[in-house]
Amino acid sequence: MLEYDSANRPPPVIDEFIQLVRYRDLIFLMVENILKNRYKRSVLGIFWMLLNPLLQTIVLTIAFGTMFKSSLPNYAIYLLSGLLAWNFITQTTQYAMSTMAYGGGLLKRIYIPRATYIVAAVGNGLINLLVSISSLVIIIIFLSHPITVAWLFLPVSILILTIFVLGFALLLSTASVFFTDTVDIYQVLIQALFFLTPIMYPASILPAELAQLLTLNPFVILIEIFRVPIYANHLPDSGLIINSMLLAFITLASGWILFTSRADQLAYRL
Amino acid sequence: MMNNTAIELNNVTVRFRIPHENIPTLQEYAIRWLKRRSVSYSDFNALNNISFSIKQGETVGIIGANGAGKSTLLKVISRVIRPTQGRVYLRGRIAPLLELGAGFDSEMTGRENIFLNGAVLGFSRKDIAERLDRIIDFSGISDFIDAPIRTYSSGMVARLGFAVATDVQPDVLVIDEILSVGDADFQKKSAARIFEYNQNGSTILVVSHNPASIRQLCAYVIWLEHGHIKMMDLVDDVINHYSSLLP
Repeated sequence: MLEYDSANRPPPVIDEFIQLVRYRDLIFLMVENILKNRYKRSVLGIFWMLLNPLLQTIVLTIAFGTMFKSSLPNYAIYLLSGLLAWNFITQTTQYAMSTMAYGGGLLKRIYIPRATYIVAAVGNGLINLLVSISSLVIIIIFLSHPITVAWLFLPVSILILTIFVLGFALLLSTASVFFTDTVDIYQVLIQALFFLTPIMYPASILPAELAQLLTLNPFVILIEIFRVPIYANHLPDSGLIINSMLLAFITLASGWILFTSRADQLAYRL
Repeated sequence: MMNNTAIELNNVTVRFRIPHENIPTLQEYAIRWLKRRSVSYSDFNALNNISFSIKQGETVGIIGANGAGKSTLLKVISRVIRPTQGRVYLRGRIAPLLELGAGFDSEMTGRENIFLNGAVLGFSRKDIAERLDRIIDFSGISDFIDAPIRTYSSGMVARLGFAVATDVQPDVLVIDEILSVGDADFQKKSAARIFEYNQNGSTILVVSHNPASIRQLCAYVIWLEHGHIKMMDLVDDVINHYSSLLP
């Protein structure tokens, strides 16, 4: 028989995980519903997911493609592969934060695991990423860019990104519940970071001092780990793999610990 | 602890912290910190050292003025908030009828929402699929089950929520205000179901402002005032005292 004893439960770090597993069907349903709601009423349906990055790439390629013609052949592929990783990170974290800050009302009405919304947001972002990869493939075929065995590394890259995004979303969502302007501050920071990360331009155009500073930007290695197998057609070097894995796991661990240790206060704060 | 205890609270305190000024943003917080002005808080105990124990199968009413702590008590029992101090113990599955249709998504159909609401209540998809027909049947809105919930009347939404939440007999049933779900027919049907569950051993917890309906349904009553238990006894004793204080 089920028992609930508030004075006698596993530590929050473990308890939250157990509860999430118990409520896994809720997470799947939430992801399904987000997707259904978003695309049900539009005529083009799921094709919006494909069309959106395609249009974005076309516009930016027309604008900047000629500028990097010599250093970046097949600019569209360089751009879109970086953009997909970037969008996955930023859109998912923003979405997770806003569902927590504005849509978390359910958490104070009925018991569900506190991280449900965040995990569902990451699941939704992951599906968006996978769908947009197919629009990337369309461009690759169109430009007859080679697809090599390096693509086999891509699932690992996506896994690293997902682990990072989940941890980052947990950190940001906790902050956004305690300080509602976190959402706005993050928005501004992201806009600045977009131009400080080599997505639209090659890292080689930066002066040496600036390139040094770039190593402090954690997004750089996350974009790279995803872009290298697609654009450069070789495996990421071992340093890049280790660094990005470390970054992802440390982010998830700290996000998970912070979130679960504050989870009990969420119903009071929301 | 007796073996047939359904709910037990030991010295439960729930404390809310109320900041004197409103500082929900990091910006405000930073400004205050720079000015070396600390943020002042005051604490408010919504529940104060509450202890009681309810045996399996009992029907217990909770009465008290607005702000006495009734909702907080139900929330702490149904696990929505964790007590600041003390211990809450609950045996079995709890069905909170406070929030009928919690998690309903107005864009989705009634059928999809049965699954969603069921998952919010902790049931697996497979569970719900097996009981889907029975739930739709009880709700009495099978003609509209594939229409989006936004097209439903509030009565229909509540009926669907009630049907999902009570489809399986819970060990503890928590009810806010005696149910007034849907039309007279459905009210009769839902009351009958609650009565039947109680006969079969479900513990029932009811919050109400209406002494008459408490008297009708409950054997015991907890009277809350300012987060304390003012009185807890057999229904007639408490209601007589309570009513004598009402104007």
